[in-house]
Amino acid sequence: MAVHSGSGSSEKKSSNGVNELLTFNAENMQSNMKIIYYSRTFLSIIGGVVAGILGFTGLYGFVFYLLLMAFTSVGLIVKSKFSIHTYFDSWNRVLVDGFLGGLMSFVLFWTFAYDIAHIF
Amino acid sequence: MGLGFAIGFVGVLILFHAAYSTIQYRALLKITEEEFSGSPLSVVFELSLGLLLCTWAALTVPGKLLCIHPDSEENRIVSLPANLDFMIFNHRGKIFPVEMNEKLRH
Repeated sequence: MAVHSGSGSSEKKSSNGVNELLTFNAENMQSNMKIIYYSRTFLSIIGGVVAGILGFTGLYGFVFYLLLMAFTSVGLIVKSKFSIHTYFDSWNRVLVDGFLGGLMSFVLFWTFAYDIAHIF
Repeated sequence: MGLGFAIGFVGVLILFHAAYSTIQYRALLKITEEEFSGSPLSVVFELSLGLLLCTWAALTVPGKLLCIHPDSEENRIVSLPANLDFMIFNHRGKIFPVEMNEKLRH
């Protein structure tokens, strides 16, 4: 290491950008993604129940889902202490991932809660 | 962990109570023969409270986020594994420069 330090520093600077993109701890990344999916799925289910009890129909429910996911994203950003790049490799992980899967759970529980509270 | 779980449980219970109140409200409307125009204020309040508690639970129960930077303080190896004889250092990881000097200076 000590021998290389003279020539290594210039190499380090030139390849620094590539290194930051490529090397990160994949295990911790997986764990973080699991946490995000957990949060989103749980909040989709709860949001579906809330939308159903409130009696939203049609487009209003989907608007409610959009607002809820935005709220969740804000919560996740707060949870990561406003430093996304310490915990995730891109913003899409926090803002977009798990959106469609959550939508399915949302619609399921939305119709379920609506049926229980308003139809039967 | 246990606290977050309990808070989520309370939130779900509040949601159930709100659903029950809505069912009762619908029954009342059926008796007085009025149309449903929106949930009563108490139900809306209960729902927002339950949603807030469940949000808290959803954000705390899954666990802590872990740092993904390979050279952060949390990810440093502080103890050597038991199978040192089987470890190979002559692999492709060699080409990544290790920031050894920066670490030792602190």
